[in-house]
Amino acid sequence: MKKKLLLLFVLMLTVAGVLAACGDNESTGSDDTKDKNEENNGDDGSAEEDGDVFVLGEEPLDITMFGNYDWYTMPQWGADVATEWIKENKKVNISSIDSGGNAEQKLTTMIVSGELPDFIWTDRGATVERLREGGQLVALDPYLDKYTNLRDWFGEQGINMLRSEDGKLYQFPNWYNSQPFGNAGYVVNKGIYEELGSPSLETTEDLYEYLKLVKENYPDVVPFETDIDGQGINVLYSAFAEGESPANINNVAVPNGDKLSSIFTDEAYVESLKYVSKLFRERLMTQDALTQDADMVREKVSSGQIAVYAGASPTDYARSGHYHLQEQDPDGGYFMIWPIHEEGLDKNEIYPGSYNMMGWNVSVITKSAEDPEKVFAFLDWLTGPEGQSSLIFGPEGEYWDGFNDQGLPQFTEKYYEDAEGLAKVEEDTVNFQWNGNSNFLDTAKAEFELTLPEDKQNWTTQWQHTITWETQYDATQYLNISPLPESEEGIIQQRIGEIFEEARAQAVYAQSDEEVEKIMQNAEKSAQDVGYEKLLEFQTAKWQENLSTLEE
Amino acid sequence: MKAEPQALSGGVKKRKKGKFVQYFKQFDLQLMVIPGLLFILVFNYIPMYGVLMSFQDYNIFEGMMKSEWVGLKHFSMFFNDPRFVEIMRNTIVLSLFKILICFPAPILLALMLNEIKNMAFKRTVQTVTYLPHFLSWVIVAGFAMSMLSTDNGSLNMALEKLNIIDEPINFLSKPEYFWTIIVTTNLWKTIGFNSIVFMAAIAGVSPQLYEAASLDGASRFKQMFLVTIPSIMPIIVIFMILEIGNLLNAGFEDLLLLGDAAILRSVSDVIDTYVYRVGIGSARYSYATAIGLFKAVISLGLLTLANYLARRSGNSLW
Repeated sequence: MKKKLLLLFVLMLTVAGVLAACGDNESTGSDDTKDKNEENNGDDGSAEEDGDVFVLGEEPLDITMFGNYDWYTMPQWGADVATEWIKENKKVNISSIDSGGNAEQKLTTMIVSGELPDFIWTDRGATVERLREGGQLVALDPYLDKYTNLRDWFGEQGINMLRSEDGKLYQFPNWYNSQPFGNAGYVVNKGIYEELGSPSLETTEDLYEYLKLVKENYPDVVPFETDIDGQGINVLYSAFAEGESPANINNVAVPNGDKLSSIFTDEAYVESLKYVSKLFRERLMTQDALTQDADMVREKVSSGQIAVYAGASPTDYARSGHYHLQEQDPDGGYFMIWPIHEEGLDKNEIYPGSYNMMGWNVSVITKSAEDPEKVFAFLDWLTGPEGQSSLIFGPEGEYWDGFNDQGLPQFTEKYYEDAEGLAKVEEDTVNFQWNGNSNFLDTAKAEFELTLPEDKQNWTTQWQHTITWETQYDATQYLNISPLPESEEGIIQQRIGEIFEEARAQAVYAQSDEEVEKIMQNAEKSAQDVGYEKLLEFQTAKWQENLSTLEE
Repeated sequence: MKAEPQALSGGVKKRKKGKFVQYFKQFDLQLMVIPGLLFILVFNYIPMYGVLMSFQDYNIFEGMMKSEWVGLKHFSMFFNDPRFVEIMRNTIVLSLFKILICFPAPILLALMLNEIKNMAFKRTVQTVTYLPHFLSWVIVAGFAMSMLSTDNGSLNMALEKLNIIDEPINFLSKPEYFWTIIVTTNLWKTIGFNSIVFMAAIAGVSPQLYEAASLDGASRFKQMFLVTIPSIMPIIVIFMILEIGNLLNAGFEDLLLLGDAAILRSVSDVIDTYVYRVGIGSARYSYATAIGLFKAVISLGLLTLANYLARRSGNSLW
């Protein structure tokens, strides 16, 4: 009996302990955030009052960050030469919260438990807006005049475009750029092309004839490869639309005067689908266009099993494929062609891809940051000349030494000689490049590339300079025209998105041009039934707002 | 008349006292049950308050207490969704296929294995058939995709080499093939592992029954139908009830991995994939919860109905 009582006692203690521990955690958790929020409010006020500028390196600075991507894991800060230097000389230490392969869920958990990191690195759009509406973000405006790198390099126009509805700036952009950039376009297999007599490849008719020729002569080669999600299908849209780009497909809306209108009734889009459907029906393009994964594409490209390859960034695989094929045959490899156009259109008005000034993604500083100003000071330093040079080219004194009168880093001899070591620095810091400054880096790198003979130039860089950068469309005007997912327009957009995707797939598999037309008519009808018009009105309004911001 | 209530109440008292005493007698055993009960309470019952979310416009920054109540808005939104009918049809059809094919198959396999006398062969077959259970769906889907793809797909290559087809067939992007692919991969993945429980049940059948049957002149087939199957019937019925309760769980990872292409959505979209894509994917938590609740209620109903029917045959779950 005594034993039993003892057992009971121990059990009750354990249960009580567990319950108490749970309760404790919860209460301290919420207290913490409350305290922090209060502190922040105080700090905000004082920051505006005193004009003291925080200089990195004066005192140690610990920053926590979260990369809102499933694939993202921050490498250890200070483990490579670049961040080691920053850690020692600028006294900045950064630790990250890992997404564990499920970023969305991790972020939600952090929001609910009120334990956000100092800054979050994420895509523009819904996530940022949701955090902002929930009052979790710190406005960056008070700091813009004290720490000026962002303003200097990104520009007032860009900042205005990034501002949220309340007129304040919350986002720190990454890889922002005022020059066109991007790699979308067509890659051609040189060996096959030359063996088939190097026919002209300019119009859609040329391409069709060439693909037929490939199929006859090389039955095991995929004549037209479209990359994952049928990217090449979107690229082909550009061949039929003068002065437009596949950005219209992502928006599921086509500009028509000062309005955005339905893509299902857009002549150029329907024409492009008829063309694609014909290629698919006659087995002139990959039959796995809409189902294959990246590995399958990579395998085909690197083994040279394709004749023409179009995608949003075909250079990634084509570059390694090029070097691989050249090992077997020095005359082989891949080259890029000027974008295909339909007979009668101006070939200089064809844009197989698009870019926008805002670059890729953004960092947002949260109210959980103990001192948001210091976090901003760090990000601003990192995007400036010293930060970018140290991060991409390594510590000063190795590959670069001081700045020239244009403010660009002066490269040392080692920069030219030790290309491998230099590439390693950049590669090691790829996942620390939260606010890359393309305007600065591209100018700095371009000078160097120009000093090299053509055959020493990087394959991708060569085509970027001669073709792709000139043929990308500035889609900055279409930024943030999407509604929030849970709003009424957002629900419509989600449904339209599904109708669009399904119609596109059906059109690719269609058996005749008439069937393509019918599929698009049906899609238009279903789209109108779920409220397409209302969504288009919303998007048009946002688009017009952007246009007027850009004109300012 | 007077005596009866007395006797009745006396009986109840006795039984009550009996139970109480009995409970105390097993005090140490009952203590061991408590952690289990706590576990269910903490992880299964307490989180149920979350279903309240489905009647709110849940805002993750405000929390449950401050979010706005919207009644049945999310339910009616789901019922009025243009895809609703299609999603329900896919869910039920895929489930029925799985019940009709993937449920009896392991029983058949167990019966067949039971007839094998060569132990080495039996063991090998058992191991080979239950191994796929331990592969995750990502791997199985990867196998299926590399076998069935058009460019470099091994099935298409084999069929071409055998001159059965002239041009590769696009298995992965034709809606008409999709259900077959899903049912086949499911069957391959689950048949061996699910047969284990039936093998165990068969092993428990008393050898005397077989002896008696063979003395009466029953052939191997007759023995199977008259002894083995009736003996394992209670197990079959219980699993059947659970299976019917799962009718609205038509699969998730398999469909997400193999049926995500837009062309297949009209045949591959079921409740769970829809919830994932629309609800979780675009952070519409209330909507996702509402659909989840709807599914749970229907499942509970189905389970009860199946159990009721089974009780009439005397093999019910409760």
